[in-house]
Amino acid sequence: MNFNFSKDQIILRKSAREFIKKEIPASLVRELLVDEKGYSPKVWEKMAELGWLGIAIDEEFGGIGADFMDLAILFEELGRGAVPSPFFSTVLLGGFLLQNHASEELKNRYLPKIVEGKSIITAAISDEKGFYGKNHVGITAKNSNGSYLLSGSVLFVSHANVSDMIICAAKMDSNNTGITLFAVDRKAKGLTATPLKTIFGNYIDYSIALDNVMVSPEMIIGEECKGWDYIEKIWPLIITAQSCECVGGMQKVMDMTRDYLNGRIQFGKPLSALQIVQHMSVDMFTKVETSKLTAHSAAWSISEGLDSENEAAIAKSWCAEAYKDVTKIAHQVTGAIGFTEEYDLHLYTKSAKKLELLFGDGAYQRKVVADKLGL
Amino acid sequence: MDLRLTEAQSKLQKEIRDFLESIKKTGEYPFTNDSLQLVFSPEFSQRLAEKGWIGIAWPKEFGGQGAGYLERCIILEELLKSGAPVGYHYLADRQVGPGIIHFGSDFLKDEFLQKMLNAQVSFCLLFSEPNAGSDLAACETTAVEEGDYFIINGQKTWTSHGHSADYGWGLMRTSFDSGTPRHNAFSEILINMKTPGIIIRPVINMVGLHSFNEVFFDNVKIHKKYLIGEKGNGFRQIMTNLVYERATIDRLIQNYSTKEALFEYVKNTEKNGVPLSKDPLIRDGLARLEVEFQVGRKYIYYVTTLLDDGKIPDYEAAIGKNFCTLFEAKLSDLATNIMGLHGLIMPESPEVLFKGIVAESYLMSPSYTLQGGSVEILKNIISKRGLKLASK
Ligand SMILES: Cc1cc2nc3c(=O)[nH]c(=O)nc-3n(C[C@H](O)[C@H](O)[C@H](O)COP(=O)(O)OP(=O)(O)OC[C@H]3O[C@@H](n4cnc5c(N)ncnc54)[C@H](O)[C@@H]3O)c2cc1C
Repeated sequence: MNFNFSKDQIILRKSAREFIKKEIPASLVRELLVDEKGYSPKVWEKMAELGWLGIAIDEEFGGIGADFMDLAILFEELGRGAVPSPFFSTVLLGGFLLQNHASEELKNRYLPKIVEGKSIITAAISDEKGFYGKNHVGITAKNSNGSYLLSGSVLFVSHANVSDMIICAAKMDSNNTGITLFAVDRKAKGLTATPLKTIFGNYIDYSIALDNVMVSPEMIIGEECKGWDYIEKIWPLIITAQSCECVGGMQKVMDMTRDYLNGRIQFGKPLSALQIVQHMSVDMFTKVETSKLTAHSAAWSISEGLDSENEAAIAKSWCAEAYKDVTKIAHQVTGAIGFTEEYDLHLYTKSAKKLELLFGDGAYQRKVVADKLGL
Repeated sequence: MDLRLTEAQSKLQKEIRDFLESIKKTGEYPFTNDSLQLVFSPEFSQRLAEKGWIGIAWPKEFGGQGAGYLERCIILEELLKSGAPVGYHYLADRQVGPGIIHFGSDFLKDEFLQKMLNAQVSFCLLFSEPNAGSDLAACETTAVEEGDYFIINGQKTWTSHGHSADYGWGLMRTSFDSGTPRHNAFSEILINMKTPGIIIRPVINMVGLHSFNEVFFDNVKIHKKYLIGEKGNGFRQIMTNLVYERATIDRLIQNYSTKEALFEYVKNTEKNGVPLSKDPLIRDGLARLEVEFQVGRKYIYYVTTLLDDGKIPDYEAAIGKNFCTLFEAKLSDLATNIMGLHGLIMPESPEVLFKGIVAESYLMSPSYTLQGGSVEILKNIISKRGLKLASK
């Protein structure tokens, strides 16, 4: 058993960390949280130049075709920066759904553009209440003269305004159980996106509504009625990528809290000299160290092509709650400065809560674990 | 990164599983329902020794297999899961052997290593005293040099298996000059528990069992060749020793049968015509437990790879031990709650389920977070060594 990263992986992490530190400092994160695009096109372009946007896309479409572990490292570093960007929706949701299942035509249409940073993709797979699951798909597709008419709404769609295409999961009207994935042009008539003001940004997440949006059959990703299988197939990737983001974020919170505690003097000595503070910090540290291993193992398992459903559910259940807990303890030991807009901690507190709830919280993941235990 | 077991490791895992299954069936050895007691059975330990499974992680030059701590972890996990009587060789394998290999003289190596590998000698740990628990450097038991001998006087306590072990690994004060810093005042000495002047008195624990003891020393004469390592270096040596104690999977697995009992119970017990395992709260509680178990297990395996890389994983072992003891305590609490009134019934009572291991495990649970370094002491270590928080 070897838990070490390879030389190349270490270099990738180091360069990613430096890039994010330089190009996406906390000051920019703050701007992006109120920016109407919800991301920085300039940085997006640079990510494309670095090859990040094509890291998981096959070489025939201009990508790098690296294994999942490399992508996981990038997610971890993005989490460390609490970076608002359409990276997750484009590279993970868009990239994998298209690459795994779409027709050659659709792949050729979108994948090279994703790699070049010229196309942003997102996905709408939940329902109008924000629930996840096969029975919670908010859009319905009706067959009409060889085309499909999509109607319905989805509560949370990342970066819907700046996306070129939204992968919409839709129940087939003809058969109540089948779910199909449609590649829907963002500008399609009848599709509206309304920005949601959330704890993490004003123009990052949207609720979308479709009113008889016409989609032609070539825009179906993979086979009709197989959509939910496709989503289940990438579910471990989704929640493992999130787990890695959590790990990056909590590591950063740990680092900044340690520095703060070592430097803040009360009663004539640093706060870090107080045992109660030390022990609270060790609780944070334990969560960070165990989360790292758990997220990395899930990422490794995916990279190796092993069945990772349980491993990923364990990772998300553990890491998401750990990240949230780490921010809570950090707030307590940091004191009032941690409650200010000026201090960076809140960026992480917000990102932690968002990561926890998006794509299922701990309890949601533990249902998978319980099923696997035969309960 | 490669988190698979190697082919040889998987083979080893299968081999030990098969071995345990067949040897358990013979009924010749005192297997228990759980691994809380670590029952002494020299005969069983000798069967393991024949397989080369004692000292598997020790270097070949000292008679070990030169395999890794990971291999040791694989073996121990299976042994504890099966309720095997591992008490006799347990401490020798875990920390006394590695301690002698690290610090012992050639005499001690010759005298003890082969015997440990053959399961012909057993040990206990003589560290704690009435006035020295967490603060080990407050030890008062003295070893005064007299010619070729140490003369030992004082008292140790909480000595697990003190009444059955052949030798005790003792921490004794050997420097009495007030100028010596506290941490240079101690030495480690191996003590034959049958030496005249040693009196061992049982202490009954709150489960009602005799597992630990008080040990009194009245002018006990021990030859100086039983000094381990350097005189005055005992305190530092013990810190290394304790890393070996903490860097293992014991704490996670010793209650494995409680976990199994709990899962079996919820699957087979109905309430309002529905198995308890379908109750959303119970499902979440058990899945939460499973998540922690898997996280802890991964972490312990990681710590063993650090040992195998030649590191002394001081804070990592402490994180692992803390995590696992807290898990154990939660496990027995949840198990008793879910089993309800059955969770109160002790071994050998009428109406008992799962031979009472769940209630017993709950009663054992206050000890987990104390022995081998309390949660608080380990947090002190983690804070300083791992997190590098300034302490002044
Ligand atoms: C089942 C069992 C088996 C044992 N077997 C052995 C054995 O075989 N050999 C042996 O030598 N010992 C053995 N011990 C003793 C064990 O090592 C001690 O119990 C342990 O070191 C704690 O010491 P104490 O019990 O004296 O508690 P104390 O040291 O008095 O501590 C009491 C409480 O105060 C806290 N505390 C103490 N110091 C600090 C500090 N600096 N900062 C914060 N909190 C602190 C502790 O964490 C604990 O919660 C065993 C104990 C148990 C329960």
